[in-house]
Amino acid sequence: MTINKVQKNGKLILDIEGRLDTATAPQLQGVLIPAFDDCKEIALDFAELVYVSSAGLRVLLMGQKQAKKTDGTMTLQNVSDEVMEVLEMTGFTDMLTIEQQRNFL
Amino acid sequence: MSILSVKNLEKRFGDNVILKNVSADIEKGEVISIIGPSGTGKSTFLRAMNFLDPPTDGEVFFDGRLITKKNVDAVRRRMGMVFQNFGLFSHMNVMDNLSAGPVKLLGVSKSEAEEKSAELLRTVGLYERARFMPRQLSGGQKQRVAIARCLAMSPEVILFDEPTSALDPTMVSEVMAVMRNLAKSGMTMLVVTHEMDFARDVSSRVFYMDEGGIYEQGNPEIIFNNPQRQKTQAFIYNIRSYNYEVESRDFDYAEMLSGVENFCFRHAIGKRDANRLQLITEELIINIVTPQYGACSLAVHFSEKQETCNISVSYKGESGNALDGAADDLSVSMVKNSAKEIRHQYADGINTLTAVL
Ligand SMILES: Nc1ncnc2c1ncn2[C@@H]1O[C@H](COP(=O)(O)OP(=O)(O)OP(=O)(O)O)[C@@H](O)[C@H]1O
Ligand SMILES: [Mg+2]
Repeated sequence: MTINKVQKNGKLILDIEGRLDTATAPQLQGVLIPAFDDCKEIALDFAELVYVSSAGLRVLLMGQKQAKKTDGTMTLQNVSDEVMEVLEMTGFTDMLTIEQQRNFL
Repeated sequence: MSILSVKNLEKRFGDNVILKNVSADIEKGEVISIIGPSGTGKSTFLRAMNFLDPPTDGEVFFDGRLITKKNVDAVRRRMGMVFQNFGLFSHMNVMDNLSAGPVKLLGVSKSEAEEKSAELLRTVGLYERARFMPRQLSGGQKQRVAIARCLAMSPEVILFDEPTSALDPTMVSEVMAVMRNLAKSGMTMLVVTHEMDFARDVSSRVFYMDEGGIYEQGNPEIIFNNPQRQKTQAFIYNIRSYNYEVESRDFDYAEMLSGVENFCFRHAIGKRDANRLQLITEELIINIVTPQYGACSLAVHFSEKQETCNISVSYKGESGNALDGAADDLSVSMVKNSAKEIRHQYADGINTLTAVL
């Protein structure tokens, strides 16, 4: 998995590419949670994310909690079909904020 | 008449009989894939056929003519061979590698040979590398040059011994593409290979070698989907399986995850099924079985015929379905939602959970 950070108008976009599984979830956690210290508005771009397991979903939940705690927001955008299937299957689509059209910034 | 005919071939090294009583007829235009476990004499078979290691008994006929030590040079001009390690002349550039044979052995003029070489290099996509030395090429490029060099002699049959086994995985497909085109053009080919896609899609017949000979042969449909003999069945079953032993809670899960990912890729399992397969495996092993039971073993098996995939996890202990005891509801629901069916069995102190995709 690779994480690319893009900063635009006070918003931080994390472009996640590859797989978010037991092996790689800690890497996202290490970037996502501290990011709320500096930024209120964080978007995770999942256009190039091809796989997510429960380990990845747990990091998303932690991110969501951290956002609440710091009065910020966490949005998922451009979620790929494969990942969307898992979010739907687990009911995460109701818990997370998801924006499905591409944001050309 | 068969282009190549092997009659009661035997090959021994000292007292060690590797091949005994092997017979086969190969017709013009056939593509024969030769598969089988390591050490069963696949390379020995090819090398005996073109007398690189002459048979210790039996006969080989090329185009109706008995091959002997005397006429073997003439035969080899018509029967090329491509090796795992390319075998290019390292002191000659690509163009000379191709042209040397025709000039020296076929008496073709240099300009004529180079013209043909240029054309062959274009067909394997390497014309731009004509003036390069072999060491300046990637493995895939070297092997394409080796195939082109073989073609420069205008052979009627080409023997390939694991042409892609020495290559980095990213370079396998460029070589396989050249071989597929060659097969399409009607070339007679005998290919020892581990590339089961090629064996399945391209060959007219598959030889499964074991027990000192061609243990079973047939069209790819039979060999891959309906093999008749026990060892062939076991071999085919194995190449469609992925096994992993989890020894303790601290196992190398990254290794297992990439192993499963690779398995999906190798068997061209569709994106959606591949994702579900990986999800079930990851959740079952890492979050459900290992936390409760520690060691376990994973067996993933793909059946093309039934278009199903089974993921089995076995663990020791009292009879118990790990899905019921799991602390982790999220993982359990992911497994249940991804599988078509889940079975629990208990026998001889071993629990087996099988998820069907
Ligand atoms: N020159 C040799 N001298 C002695 N024994 C040999 C020689 N060449 C091969 N053998 C033996 O013959 C047997 C078959 O070897 P061969 O290389 O043909 O197997 P293979 O099917 O090609 O295996 P692999 O899949 O590993 O390439 C092996 O037991 C090997 O040790
Ligand atoms: Mg061999």
